[in-house]
Amino acid sequence: MKKIILAASLIAAAALAGCGSSSSSTSDAVEKYGSDTLKFYNWGEYVGEDVIANFEEEYGVKVISEYFDSNEMMYTKLQAGDAYDVIVPSDYMIERLIKEDMLQELDLSLIPNMSELADGVKNLSFDPENKYSVPYFWGSVGIVYNHNNVPQEEVEEKGYSILKDTKYKGRIYMYDSERDSFMVALKSLGYSMNTDNEEEINEAYNWLVELNNTMEPVYVTDEVIDNMANGLMDMAVVYSGDAAYILSENEDMSYWMPTEGTNLWVDSMVIPKNAENPKLAHEFINYILSYDASYDNSSTVGYASTNKEVLAEMSGEGGEYEGNEAYLPREGYEKDEVFNDNEVLRQKLSELWIKVKASK
Amino acid sequence: MKQFRTMAYPYIVWICLLIVLPMLLILVYAFTKAGNDVATIKFSFENFGKFFSDAIFLDVLRRSLLIAIATTIICVLLGYPAAYIIANAEGRKKVMLILLVTIPTWINMLVRTYAWMGILQDDGIINTVLGLIGLGPIKMIHTSFAVIVGMVYNFIPFMILQIYTSLTKMDKSLLEAASDLGANKVQAFLRVTLPLSIPGVISGITLVFLPAVSSFFIPKLLGGGQYVLIGNVIENQFLTAGDWNFGSAISLIMAVIIMISMYITKKIDKGEAMEGGDKK
Repeated sequence: MKKIILAASLIAAAALAGCGSSSSSTSDAVEKYGSDTLKFYNWGEYVGEDVIANFEEEYGVKVISEYFDSNEMMYTKLQAGDAYDVIVPSDYMIERLIKEDMLQELDLSLIPNMSELADGVKNLSFDPENKYSVPYFWGSVGIVYNHNNVPQEEVEEKGYSILKDTKYKGRIYMYDSERDSFMVALKSLGYSMNTDNEEEINEAYNWLVELNNTMEPVYVTDEVIDNMANGLMDMAVVYSGDAAYILSENEDMSYWMPTEGTNLWVDSMVIPKNAENPKLAHEFINYILSYDASYDNSSTVGYASTNKEVLAEMSGEGGEYEGNEAYLPREGYEKDEVFNDNEVLRQKLSELWIKVKASK
Repeated sequence: MKQFRTMAYPYIVWICLLIVLPMLLILVYAFTKAGNDVATIKFSFENFGKFFSDAIFLDVLRRSLLIAIATTIICVLLGYPAAYIIANAEGRKKVMLILLVTIPTWINMLVRTYAWMGILQDDGIINTVLGLIGLGPIKMIHTSFAVIVGMVYNFIPFMILQIYTSLTKMDKSLLEAASDLGANKVQAFLRVTLPLSIPGVISGITLVFLPAVSSFFIPKLLGGGQYVLIGNVIENQFLTAGDWNFGSAISLIMAVIIMISMYITKKIDKGEAMEGGDKK
């Protein structure tokens, strides 16, 4: 329901913004950037309430937002030739896009706010010098559970294998994403989530099929946020930022990053090669990194900010997410990994995931 | 007439560009593997082998057909009486009833299906009401029940309108003749009205069965991600897995199945017409 209202209000806001700013400022923008329209391709429910509207007003431009559910879906659209100015893919997908020469090198002189980036998100392996990408949000993956129905000790002791405990049959959400589900299976089996060993991947496949057939899980994407906040299920595999939001809405919920390790991820802004408006795209990236936009983003959505000042303020004393165990990603734990792009894993996962879901 | 023939050329070009060419592309994709150059194109049945040798995919196909058949049967059972009532209503009332059937179709299907999510959800409208009178909650969302409800709701207008049209086209004097010859109302309906409306039912069945067997967003929203029908497998191949060849092959398999079922319904239609003719 929230989504429909959100969509309706976005349309209304866009209409209003369109009326308000279409006077003199638009022609200024055309002169300065060559165009007054920015095409922004982002995850659903992944931007602060006023971030886009404020940008439109401040720079006299129009932002057209489109949304994706998965990196793979984004990649397919991009490959089909759709042009966007700014996209927010995850680490491994950025690595792939760089490899396939689909991204523009950034002009860092146009993005002075790079200096605001938190240390933990700079110069990561998928883009060692941040030549192509600027971090947007970062986080981990873990289990949100209702501590009234699932004892805390049990979750912490069993880790991911609690998702296969038939006591909780019909009471769990899985995330409808091949990467995250296979990450859970591979970590639970003690393997690296970046494995290219087909036997290990097949073992993980069987792990997931068994879960699918014994637990009656429901595979969801963004619905998990509202539904767990309303306490509809006992356990769910979720991204840390969604978990932070769920925890702040429903005090019966807790978050746990299993000791078997988890996926540390960074979603970053990139400009594809076929962008029609790269100048404005740089301006937009710089604006997103600013204190105000970062604050609005992190406060609304619940993911860990990549702006160091906002990150410290949100998680620090008196901050909005003080004491929220899901907000801050776990740093420096050796079993946590960042996804790499490797072809064997990629192909196997896309082939196997639909079969996991259809296996019953 | 001859000078009008040239006016058909733009239309023919249009058909080639928008219908024939995409179909040919699907054919080419279905019979090749990814990574083929145009120069070294190699045809194979590998995609079809992959589909038919996998019990999981065959099971998905079976499930999709069953759901579509169930949807179609329910649409006939609910749609026929509705169409009959509308056809026999008078003046204003008739217009109102037709509007009630068509108005929902003016609103986007996706939005209406989202509304059903809110209605059937564990904490949705039905369960809230049941909770107030001390019943439930009943598990409805993410079950076959929810998927079939969503499909029947979305596709039943097609059935009602088709049957309604064939009922209104019927010559009322045939019914008068039937009663003159001593038939009671039930007999007149079974011997006259029903056979004459069969063509409407048949085209209604086609219009409901086709979208029902290939729908992917209704099972996704109301059945959850684990409710995989053949439409979802195709969507997944194109949008997520990026295997357009396999996706095209499954689409082609579906097209063949649909063509066969349309051929069969046509046959039945013709058979009925012959039978009706004999009785007269």
